[in-house]
Amino acid sequence: MSAVVAEFRRNRLSLSYVIVVALLILLVVAGGFLSDRFLTWRNFGNLFQQLVVLGMVSLGQTFVVLLGGIDLAVGSLVSASTVFIAHFLEWRPDLLWLALPLALVAATAIGALNGLLTIVLRVHPLIVTLGMSSIIFGGTLMYNKEPGGSVPRGLADFSYAKLWGTPVTAIVLVAIFALAGLWLQRSRSGRSIYFVGGDREAARLNGLPVNRIVVMAYALSGLCAGLAAIFLTARTGVGDPRIGAALTLQSITPVVVGGTVLAGGRGGVLGTLLGVLLVTMLNNLLNFLNVSSYYQWVIQGLIIIIAVSIHTTKRRQ
Amino acid sequence: MVVVGQTFVILVRGLDLSVASLMATVAVLATAFKATTNDAIPMIFVAAIAFSAVVGLVNGWLVARRNVSPFLATLAMMIILQGVRFAYTGGAPISTLPPGMGFLASGRILGIPVNLITLALLAIIFGVVLHRSRLGREIFMVGSNPKAAFLNGVAPDRVIIFCYVICSVCAGIGGLFLLGYVGTVSNWVGQGYELDSIVAAVMGGVALTGGRGNIFAALLGVAVLVVINNLVLLLGFPIEMQLIIKGIIIIGAAAFYRTRLA
Repeated sequence: MSAVVAEFRRNRLSLSYVIVVALLILLVVAGGFLSDRFLTWRNFGNLFQQLVVLGMVSLGQTFVVLLGGIDLAVGSLVSASTVFIAHFLEWRPDLLWLALPLALVAATAIGALNGLLTIVLRVHPLIVTLGMSSIIFGGTLMYNKEPGGSVPRGLADFSYAKLWGTPVTAIVLVAIFALAGLWLQRSRSGRSIYFVGGDREAARLNGLPVNRIVVMAYALSGLCAGLAAIFLTARTGVGDPRIGAALTLQSITPVVVGGTVLAGGRGGVLGTLLGVLLVTMLNNLLNFLNVSSYYQWVIQGLIIIIAVSIHTTKRRQ
Repeated sequence: MVVVGQTFVILVRGLDLSVASLMATVAVLATAFKATTNDAIPMIFVAAIAFSAVVGLVNGWLVARRNVSPFLATLAMMIILQGVRFAYTGGAPISTLPPGMGFLASGRILGIPVNLITLALLAIIFGVVLHRSRLGREIFMVGSNPKAAFLNGVAPDRVIIFCYVICSVCAGIGGLFLLGYVGTVSNWVGQGYELDSIVAAVMGGVALTGGRGNIFAALLGVAVLVVINNLVLLLGFPIEMQLIIKGIIIIGAAAFYRTRLA
């Protein structure tokens, strides 16, 4: 076990975090020089609000990637959940207390189903979640093709509420990340995710309930997608069957930029949080500089390649 | 055509998500000649193939030499190509095309569609390369066990890069034919092909873990996919149903091959 513990120590202070933090600082300094509106409290408030949804989905993706899997169904799941929430609340605005937990349970169940299918059918998670994504998207479209529904005032207020000038949603997000980080590093079940991701066969031989851990990770990814959908519906006020489509691939970028390896077993949620910050802040700054979104795509692609190259070179040394 | 290329990449344990984006970019490149006569067609083909080959080379280099996972390398390439394409066109569709391009896509020779003939030719050429040549056997070797291949005197890096180049070139040619078929270039032409091509290959029994598969079976996978899409429409199901059925079939087919091989 001591080797595993050492592995955690290294993970916590790993060089990839240093690199991402350095890049973040560089970005903030450069932003301060290039635009006089970038380094303002108001902009940072907006920025945090923007990153909440992506942050939630990326967090879920982190669990699955740590396990050596991938979840391509998150985008469809977020869309489906927003549609469910908005329509349910339009029907019975008074049942807010029921609608949100119901959405979370449903999203978690669908996530668990993803995990279950990868185990029972022994099919690559890429294929399973891709297929599920198609099924969920089709199902959502059959129910409703256009954005629709509405949310009660209270929920909408929640997404714009501020505490000491900081959006409450951002505080919630950071709290969830902290919880997730603690759980991954300190608890038995959290650590077992690393173990299974690092070497599934070894984990099995050591008596870990591998199948249960896999299902749990996918279920967590579903839960995070459900939470993201709540934030999203609160902000936009409608359920949109297409709103999450881009999130699937977007959620993978922060994970790998933050140093989590696609092969599994290495990385962590702190890296993902930093990755989300980096990606969102960069887009924010580029918007201020009036760079067209076309070039933002090019830059995003380059970042993925550069980040992953750095991480892989480091690993080989 | 895209599936032919995708098969190569999957055989060496890879995956190419950039094919659809490449198809659209090649289509834009073709219109960049602003040609109105057929003289430009050979030029367009040469440029398209050269451009695709470079994209494939970069993909392959990232995967083989830089150890970037295929998923990420080609995902990044997809986003980059998309950005470059939009930056050039500004998002507007273009339709300046030599008239001969339409013939490529919807013309017939002896009653057989030209694009089908081209597909058959490509499939036969690459099928022979894959299943009958030394290089083809090396591809299977690298796919099933890179280390063993290396110890047997095969350079895995070179084989992998070769596969990505083939894949991109196939996608590029596919893009030109799609362009001729559609007639105008929207910036999203080809969207969805990246996933459909993977699905078709998997349904044709190409193993995502590498080293196992057959080009002609992969093409059968395409046929099945097309028939399914068509059937859903003919039976009068809503188009959303197509998505659901496709999802079920993807998972089902993959599970079927897994259990049969196990």
